[in-house]
Amino acid sequence: MNLAHLHLIMNHVPTVGSAVALSLLILGYARRNDHLKHVGLELLFVIAVLTLPVYVSGVAAHRELREIKEVADDAIRIHQDVALFGFAWMEFAGFIAWVALWQWRRRGAAARGLVPVATVLLIVSLAVMGRAANLGGEIRHPEIRAADAAAATAGDPKRFVQYSINQVAVYSRWMWPAAEAVHFLGLSLSFGVLLAVNLRILGVMKQIPFADVHRLLPWGMLGFGANLITGMFFFVGQPGQYVESNPFYWKVMFLVIAGANFLYLTVFGKAWRDGDKDRFTANVGDKAMALLSLTAWLGVLYAGRMLPFLGRSF
Amino acid sequence: MWAFPTILTLHTIGLAVLIGASWMLDLRLLGIGRRVPLSAYRWVFPTVAVGLVINLLTGVLLFIKNASTWGVAFPFFVKMALVVASVATVLPMRSIVLRGGDLQGDVGGNARLLAVVSILAWSAAVTAGRLLAYTVV
Repeated sequence: MNLAHLHLIMNHVPTVGSAVALSLLILGYARRNDHLKHVGLELLFVIAVLTLPVYVSGVAAHRELREIKEVADDAIRIHQDVALFGFAWMEFAGFIAWVALWQWRRRGAAARGLVPVATVLLIVSLAVMGRAANLGGEIRHPEIRAADAAAATAGDPKRFVQYSINQVAVYSRWMWPAAEAVHFLGLSLSFGVLLAVNLRILGVMKQIPFADVHRLLPWGMLGFGANLITGMFFFVGQPGQYVESNPFYWKVMFLVIAGANFLYLTVFGKAWRDGDKDRFTANVGDKAMALLSLTAWLGVLYAGRMLPFLGRSF
Repeated sequence: MWAFPTILTLHTIGLAVLIGASWMLDLRLLGIGRRVPLSAYRWVFPTVAVGLVINLLTGVLLFIKNASTWGVAFPFFVKMALVVASVATVLPMRSIVLRGGDLQGDVGGNARLLAVVSILAWSAAVTAGRLLAYTVV
């Protein structure tokens, strides 16, 4: 199995998954059922996390297909460009869903308008991803290729967004170093927040309510967002450095685990329930989760920093 | 062959521990989670100490590798000055936390100023460190 297989398996997640999440949200509105909406938002966040491996495995699949002559390179590049926009919309929708879930946990309800905004963003992502999926299908399925799609191939390679980002990454003297500096600051912020939250679960600062460390999570999200943007700049700017690099896939895997864990810490209900609001004590399962979270982040750091040595980036 | 990457990776992990923990205290001093008593933040100092020890040790080793060029490079001294300045902000914060005890709510203006200086100094130190890789070979 290679990464093209993985892409073919996972590429249904952003479209099919979004359709399911959207159905849950719409059903939640129709039945006035907040629980359904909550599940819809959680699913939306999970799909946003999983869209990362879908995108990067797609770029890896592009490498695999380069050798095959009958596949039009332009068809792949068009698909990749639309997928990049779909990815951006998906992450934005996932972020808003996360904010809504975070507020929900704290106040028992999300701010007015936040869930509808997440729903609208999800519809936009689904539309763009649907278009990307269709273009992706046209790469290898002549039976669905529209007559005009074939004519649209072979044009100016400079028209692709990926090309522009690559030019900035290669020729700008300061963009790459500046993005790296931001990436390091972002990792400190994310790691600091998750250190505080997980240490609380592991039994440090037991005297304070869990709600008070939960208060820090948006700062972790800020660091994570900065790193997603700068990280995607590196990846889209110089994909060759990453797609043939094993530690990069380790890093993506650790990021998916860390993302799932972040959702768990956000919605984690136990510390809010009953009388133990102020004196929440974690059980073994909670502590295992906290250790998993910290391990995943150390894994992200290790695999990321080792990229130049175990892989091919600089 | 494995030594350099491992040392560099440990330096990055130490950085995350050191700066992450000290930023959490900075955020508290700036009023994020002001309900939390200052005494709850005592864990920050041993954590910062662990990160600092890791990074001093690995930093010295990284310096030895490039001593002849870094030792005379201006950007390197800028980074060192920024690291010293950043660490220097942690010490008065420690006395604020220890003196503050179970204080809840806002800390004084001086402590807030200190927190801002700390955040900026760490950011500048990390940026300078990262740019070392580009300015001094």
